[in-house]
Amino acid sequence: MTDGAPVYLDYAATSPADPRVAAAMAECLTQSGVFGNPASHHQYGRLARARVEHARGQVAALIGAAASQLVWTSGATESNNLAILGTARAAAAAATGKPRHIVTARTEHKAVLDPCRRLEQEGCRVTYLTPDSQGLIDPAQVRAAIGTDTVLVSIMHANNEIGVLQDIEAIGGYCRQRGVPLHVDAAQSAGKAEIDLARWPVDLLSLTAHKLCGPKGVGALYVSPQRRAQLQPLIFGGGQERGLRSGTLAVHQIVGFGVACELCTQGRLAEAQRIEALRVRLWQGLGRIEGALLNGHPARRVPGILNVSFRGVEGESLLLGLPELALSTGSACNSDTDEPSYVLRALGRDTELAQSSLRFSLGRFSTEDEVDLAVSAVRREVGRLRAVAP
Amino acid sequence: MSVDLLEPQIRELFTTLDHAGELDPAEGASVATGEAGREELGTRVRIALRIADGRVQAVRYRAYGCPHTLATCEWLARTLEGRRPDALEIGNPLDWARQLDVPAAKLGRLLVVEDALQAALTRS
Repeated sequence: MTDGAPVYLDYAATSPADPRVAAAMAECLTQSGVFGNPASHHQYGRLARARVEHARGQVAALIGAAASQLVWTSGATESNNLAILGTARAAAAAATGKPRHIVTARTEHKAVLDPCRRLEQEGCRVTYLTPDSQGLIDPAQVRAAIGTDTVLVSIMHANNEIGVLQDIEAIGGYCRQRGVPLHVDAAQSAGKAEIDLARWPVDLLSLTAHKLCGPKGVGALYVSPQRRAQLQPLIFGGGQERGLRSGTLAVHQIVGFGVACELCTQGRLAEAQRIEALRVRLWQGLGRIEGALLNGHPARRVPGILNVSFRGVEGESLLLGLPELALSTGSACNSDTDEPSYVLRALGRDTELAQSSLRFSLGRFSTEDEVDLAVSAVRREVGRLRAVAP
Repeated sequence: MSVDLLEPQIRELFTTLDHAGELDPAEGASVATGEAGREELGTRVRIALRIADGRVQAVRYRAYGCPHTLATCEWLARTLEGRRPDALEIGNPLDWARQLDVPAAKLGRLLVVEDALQAALTRS
């Protein structure tokens, strides 16, 4: 925290790059560094290619995958689009006129829901599963929803608003039984919760760098070898990434992503314990405010995300009455709208509670002092707003 | 969005809210109260006017809603005090929005404030 700056509690929106990440990126920008185009065959290109492939191994190691199974993208939104649109359109091309069906959940990120809505316009049928009141999808719901025409199941690992973790292993098991590929949006869980694709029955998995102290503008899509041929690219051009994602690779961002993942691989368990302890401390403080309600399952969650509704307090007023804190009322990608959170509505929260929530998200540089300051500030502002309410 | 991004006038009103509260009927000649909106729809406002000697002597409100709603209530309270209730030229929510730089998306909320005020004036 910089002196006088608001306490940053919005790591689920984005995180500052780790200084070690920034240093590695800086080595890949100028004439004296590794600035070449990895597709070039001269020495500059070879050096850049080596850095890119090293980073590919670093990212793959974080999720228990092989380096060759990763496709670089611009972030999780593009990864999700490539996975969903690419799979559904490839299925359409392979069997013209055959009905196509996708299974997903109402609580997914817009980067999953919007491609699904796009596919509905293209004639695809989509089932949107409703989670239980704690935000969890029962794997049996997925099993029941899969039909003979299902071409993809897309379920996120950690929810971006409430932080709950879905049982991806069990969901993937049902998908494998039915021969349906499973896509997982892991933007909020990578580097924070265990992901082991050597063991998990997952076919496609979306990653982004900027949620794990890497740079913005770079991500990856894990594609299992069995599914590679069943994915249609969205971007055409130079044929990079074995034709799945054309475009000159952003070496500095990819290198930064690699270092960020390596730091997570080395320190994930210790960091997760530390951040979880901070989250528990935060809830112990906030939970004592009358009318505070935790959103999402109390235990099955990523360490850093806490979503709390404060009965009788309007969320936007609460947020704006806390100038000493930087946090969100919900997804940062959705926080400009005047609508209550669709995620909380899907959990069955009434509109008043859904629009009275704050998302606190902690990360690598969060401290106990910041958590204590947050509790004190929220208590003050909730009290002020309740005092003026009818 | 941060409070720093609000227009300065809205920010000052929202952070002050000096006129939030109730009016004690025993203190004045008459207190007229109007109410509108519902919490589950995002906005609820109650406005009380104390009228004495043909003038609005005091205004108090209670409000649940967004910062623009609360700020508008505070601004109206400051504007109304001291005026004659039969000669109020308070304009309408469009005028208020223009004066306070309230975004168009929030106009519906100001309509609730207007409904509460009109209800109070009708009873005055």
